[in-house]
Amino acid sequence: MTKDKALEELFLAQKPHFSDNADFMASLTKRLDAIEYLKQHQEATIRHYKMMMVIAFMVGIVSGAIAIAYVLSVPADVPLFTFKVQTGILLWLTENSRLIAATGLSLLMTIGIISIISNIQDILRMRVCLKA
Amino acid sequence: MTREVFIVQVEREQEALRGFLLALCCGRKDDADDLAQDALVKAYLSSAGYQDKGKFRSWLFKIAYNTFLNHKASLRCVESIDEAKTLISSTNADSEFEHQDLYLALRTLPPKERSAITLFYLNGYNIKEIAAITDTSEDAVKKQLSRGRDKLREKLKL
Repeated sequence: MTKDKALEELFLAQKPHFSDNADFMASLTKRLDAIEYLKQHQEATIRHYKMMMVIAFMVGIVSGAIAIAYVLSVPADVPLFTFKVQTGILLWLTENSRLIAATGLSLLMTIGIISIISNIQDILRMRVCLKA
Repeated sequence: MTREVFIVQVEREQEALRGFLLALCCGRKDDADDLAQDALVKAYLSSAGYQDKGKFRSWLFKIAYNTFLNHKASLRCVESIDEAKTLISSTNADSEFEHQDLYLALRTLPPKERSAITLFYLNGYNIKEIAAITDTSEDAVKKQLSRGRDKLREKLKL
């Protein structure tokens, strides 16, 4: 397609020249600084999340191992915990101490797994935001 | 691309980019500069994935063009020529430009025709490059240029 001479001349004649290039660049640099600050803040948050997750994982492993070791070390015919006062409900708890301990551990593990998955999802979401 | 390299490249290209957006915004310098800043921020955020093939300007123009279209879509209003005259005679218009008639005429064009005409006549891109920047086919660009040129000639009485 050939260019329309008159239009081309008109466009070339009105080609703008900006006298505020330095101001424009200064304003842009400020914006980029703000973006860098936000990026660094988000990266720090991700690092913090990761660290918290590792700590939670380690605490979970150690406390879980201790709890399981304790349960296994106690003879099967001896209750895991007893109460000084012997009422109906406390007696029932004492009799079913192993079942209660196993249920408690399972609940803790479930909560721990859900929390880890949720943290991983948060981190992935933040990464996507950072890339966008 | 590092921040320093990005700033050096932008310093080189910003005048052309601002000129392009100024024409798309029909002489409203403040709007054009705001869009240029937004486009450059978007470019900076996606500069990690940019592969330098010597087409930095085209890449910037593509982002600027999309930013302009998004901006137009968000406004969702059709402005009349009379409104354009008011705008251009106000402080929003760049008083340095003598060819306000061209901006008035450009304002009558749909955004896509205006972009094609500006890229072709002001920035000197060929049809293939315009098609790449605007993400359309070469035939579509040819039609936009043809229609836009006819309308401009009529409005400007060339």
